[in-house]
Amino acid sequence: MDQRSAAADRDSVVVTGLGDALSTPCDPTPYLRNHKLRKYMGAQDDLAVVAAGRALEAAGLLGASPSERTGLYLAVGYIPFDAEDIDELHAESLEDGRFSMRRFSTDAYPAANPLLAFRCLPNMPAFHVSVNFDVQGPYFVTYPGPGQLYLALEAAAAALDDGTIDVALVGGVAHQRNFLVSHHFHRLDPPVAAERLADGAGCLVLETTTHAALRGAPIRGRLLALDIVYAPHDPFRDPPPPGEWMDDKTNPDEERGAASLPIALARVGPGRYQHRVVTRDGIEAASRWELR
Amino acid sequence: MRRRVVVTGMGVVSPIGNTVATFTENLLTGVSGVGPITLFDPAALPTRIAAEVRWDGPPLADRKIAFALAAADQACLDARSCGTRPRGDGGLSLGVGLELFRMDDLVASRRPGFVLPETLADRLSFLQTPSDLAVHSISHRHGLRTAPLTHVSACAAGTDAIGAAFRLVASGRRRWMLAGGTDSMINPLGVAGFCGIRATSTSNAIPSRASRPFDRARDGFVLGEGAGILVLEALDDARDRGVRIDAEIVGYGNSFDAHGISEPHPEGRGAYQAMARALADAGVDASVIDCINAHGTSTRKNDPIETAAVKRLLGQRAHAVPMCATKSMIGHLISGAGAVEAIAAIACMRAGWVHPTINLDDPDPACDLDYVAHKARPHRQRYVLSNSFGFGGQNAALLFKAFDA
Repeated sequence: MDQRSAAADRDSVVVTGLGDALSTPCDPTPYLRNHKLRKYMGAQDDLAVVAAGRALEAAGLLGASPSERTGLYLAVGYIPFDAEDIDELHAESLEDGRFSMRRFSTDAYPAANPLLAFRCLPNMPAFHVSVNFDVQGPYFVTYPGPGQLYLALEAAAAALDDGTIDVALVGGVAHQRNFLVSHHFHRLDPPVAAERLADGAGCLVLETTTHAALRGAPIRGRLLALDIVYAPHDPFRDPPPPGEWMDDKTNPDEERGAASLPIALARVGPGRYQHRVVTRDGIEAASRWELR
Repeated sequence: MRRRVVVTGMGVVSPIGNTVATFTENLLTGVSGVGPITLFDPAALPTRIAAEVRWDGPPLADRKIAFALAAADQACLDARSCGTRPRGDGGLSLGVGLELFRMDDLVASRRPGFVLPETLADRLSFLQTPSDLAVHSISHRHGLRTAPLTHVSACAAGTDAIGAAFRLVASGRRRWMLAGGTDSMINPLGVAGFCGIRATSTSNAIPSRASRPFDRARDGFVLGEGAGILVLEALDDARDRGVRIDAEIVGYGNSFDAHGISEPHPEGRGAYQAMARALADAGVDASVIDCINAHGTSTRKNDPIETAAVKRLLGQRAHAVPMCATKSMIGHLISGAGAVEAIAAIACMRAGWVHPTINLDDPDPACDLDYVAHKARPHRQRYVLSNSFGFGGQNAALLFKAFDA
């Protein structure tokens, strides 16, 4: 684990907005521009839109972000699927106690709500954020955990540094209290109890110092440093042990996955902070922040 | 100072060949990889055809992981053809498809007395296989010591993965990268899901004729599967190693439509922005483009809007620039599409040919550009644009340049 993939003093990137959404259900209605799309939204979409809306509101950019100069850098958790939807598929696919493709194709498939797919696809939170806040800029939509959130943050900081964009929405969203995500964490070694898994989304608005100054934006903080290292490993044999630290707070009671960093930042007051995470996929990442 | 980035290795697993040489030969001769679904019994599903990979490699439960590993192996071997491997620590940027969900396992899990499989490997493949296992498996196998990037921007993911890797190498933040995409959704839930939103062709009678981008009779895309991986490194490093250079990547752009969930912006705004940003990134204008590898899905909505966006980009030259659709032969590889089509674009550029768009018998009046119908054509290309436009309004484009030292 000797490769530093990013480390820099970053005085050109400032935080102008922070927002989060900590539980489901949460109502995105106040932020919807196109209410016809509401039927397509699942819980992870609701969370992402609310967190982004709150962050943009805090930054004074709600309805006023520069569409083509705003980028979205979003980490999305494992695909969520509720038990009741799976139960229906299961029940309609059985024949003599076994899975039957004949029944699946004649009974389960026609009975399934076609909107289900839209509500769990990992690129849909990005779609709903883009359409409701008119984000037309570049993007990086990644998956599935807190390490990838750090990679999204790295990409956003680079795009701000090189002038590709003026504003970056950096967010994470994890809808984890459902059958399929619980199944995933339950089979790990050691297993993660379903009660530890929390739903949530968080979003930071980052801007270039110049852009924030030009529009007289309130500076909420600065990203001081960012480090990401990785230990390649065989995921089928030797997953590394995870942990999360926000200064002296180790292993919070709940895991918020891809949303952990922005939620942690949105919930603290002024001060200097270090956030560090060791993920189950071998990424060890740390960032230092100054919040006002 | 931005570094020049070149492609020094390529690997492909596709419905028309599992080596770059075979894939290219079949592209240029217009071979269709579409046939009846054999991976499972599609029974009465409306779509019963797909472009399957003929696979005799390791039988992993999740085919897209097996494909990605094989394509990465090929690309790394290709990049070491000069006897040395790329210098410094490498990384990976991969477009990955949806988690595999197995209906058989769902039924098994609901039986009384069910217990999860004993080994972690078996448990991770049970019911749902996390898609990021592909990136860690490749990173482990090839000793890639920088954190891997996963891209889940649907049909644009493979192109985004290459673009992100290009940015990292160009900026000096990574020394070299494996980049590409992989997918396989030819499974009951994958095919049924696309049937449910009426996205796939139901022309089951003659499978090889079903994928017909820009044709008046097109009725949806044909699902394909496969993987494409490129090795990207800085030109200086590649020259020092003396490795063969396949092409240079000079520009990348992506954008949101910020419009409809399954329909592109009616004026192709996002598609145009992605292409224009790739050109701006390269510091060139549209007059340099010699060929376009189209997204060309064979859906009612995509093809005319892509055509309109290209017309806006190229202006009066639009009718003079050939634009071919690889999906006419291999179907839509979803998260793998952009990467495999990038390899198609580079291979054809190197060969001095444009591959055909097969099955284009009767062009849609709204699709009136030169799509190189039926037969490949010799055509010198210095700059080739490769497009991927995703479901959900995520659009990406890459600009490749013939390497001329």
